Amino acid sequence: MTEQYQIITLSTEERDRLQRVYTDLLSLAGCEVPAVRSAARAALAQIAQALNGQGLAFDLYSQDLDETPTPY
Amino acid sequence: MYNRPRGYWNPTTETMPRDDLRQWQWQKLQAILRHVYAGSPFYRRRMDESGCRPEDIHSLDEYCRRFPLLTREDITAAEGEAPPFGSLAAISPDLAMRYHQTSGSTGQPPVRTFDTARDWAWAADMWAIGLYGMGIRPKDRAAVAFGYGLFIGFWGLHYALEKIGCTTIATGSFDSEKRIQLLIDQGITVLACTPTYALRLALTAQQMGVDLRRDTQVRTVVTSGEPRPEATKLAIAEAFDAFVGDTAGMTEAATIFMFECPEEPGGAHIIETDYIEEVLDPETHEPVGYGERGVRVMTSLGREGICMLRYWTNDLVVKLPFSDCTCGRTWDLYQGGIQGRHDDMRKIRGVWFVPSMVEDVVRAFPAIDEYQCELTTIDALDTLVLTIEPRPDLSPADCESLRMQVALAAKRTLSVTPRVELANPGQLPRFEMKARRFRDARPVAAGEPA
Repeated sequence: MTEQYQIITLSTEERDRLQRVYTDLLSLAGCEVPAVRSAARAALAQIAQALNGQGLAFDLYSQDLDETPTPY
Repeated sequence: MYNRPRGYWNPTTETMPRDDLRQWQWQKLQAILRHVYAGSPFYRRRMDESGCRPEDIHSLDEYCRRFPLLTREDITAAEGEAPPFGSLAAISPDLAMRYHQTSGSTGQPPVRTFDTARDWAWAADMWAIGLYGMGIRPKDRAAVAFGYGLFIGFWGLHYALEKIGCTTIATGSFDSEKRIQLLIDQGITVLACTPTYALRLALTAQQMGVDLRRDTQVRTVVTSGEPRPEATKLAIAEAFDAFVGDTAGMTEAATIFMFECPEEPGGAHIIETDYIEEVLDPETHEPVGYGERGVRVMTSLGREGICMLRYWTNDLVVKLPFSDCTCGRTWDLYQGGIQGRHDDMRKIRGVWFVPSMVEDVVRAFPAIDEYQCELTTIDALDTLVLTIEPRPDLSPADCESLRMQVALAAKRTLSVTPRVELANPGQLPRFEMKARRFRDARPVAAGEPA
């Protein structure tokens, strides 16, 4: 059967989990173990976009992950 | 008969009521204004000078009315202050994990951009919205016919296909014959390339004795990188027996900003959750209404590194209301996608002319393999010279008949009588990306853009 247009929404529980995993990944993004830090940051980018795509949150966070010099 | 799946990548935001959509845009815009004011010396300077600091802008309407337009020259100057990114970047380039630049096909210095991991996830997701919306699903097998260089091209599409879960094959090093063979051997269902290259593959297949409709399983051709008139879409669809989904993006945005859904309403949906798209009169810079042609001005609500706020793209577009499409998205449309470039517009004997109009004429003739178009001065008159290269199997009499038919069709469509000339087989240049088929060869540029 051909898939037709459906407006599928997150359940309250799914929404809460999505927001919670974002918070967890943010805290792991500063982990000192390189492999864990990298994995957390890669996942964070995807989850941040999932939140944006669902209209739940919009965050410009990368500058807060590192102590980096100003751009100019 | 192939039953194309229908669906939304992000059902909630693709169908949100227009008032909610504008509120979501405004919320994101406020965050971006604060972000660039804090991080980008270039934007801070112009926001201070124009009285458009974050606290000075109180609504989307006010932003569209007051915030200064950004031009390609502004970007070049800002990046030139301290190459590669100058004062434009809003965060440290040390956070970048990708670098891209424009193709340089216009002869200007390239625009250089970078993406953080966050930005790139966003960029790929914009492509995923379009690809999923076209009906591409995890079971699809895709071939990406693209050179994979510095130019951003189909890089984002590649990552989006992987994100959706498709088998994705990079064919950067392949020639056309090898690509045709891959389509057959791998049972490829999705092909991504420029419209020009799709037609070139169709020609190569014909020369190889391959019937793309019968011998391949390609059901979706995703095109990008060039304006794609309706006649070109039909020619590609006919050659592959496939849905041809148009997209358009730009290096300055990192990704696409519009895509065509399978309902084919005669235009492409603007991804309005992530872009504020204005259409302005090129002379007055005032907004034009639905159905009126103007220049596309883009604000990206996606990136954190290189931000585009009210960027004067020079793309010519006509906006249509979302209600013209039956797919259920609440995102407005650009009729026929990008219709051409404002800086390519020329006046020939009092008539406005856009080079993509010629493509619409030529592609209606399957017997033409390639063409070039030149605006020149003959006997002190601006003259359009259209050189067509017929298929090699045409007889001289057929070529002459074709020449006359093209001349008539061009006169009817362009309201200008071109001089149509014939080229020998293989004489005209072929392109894979950014085809350049128009040249203004007049000694004095009498037809500067309006």
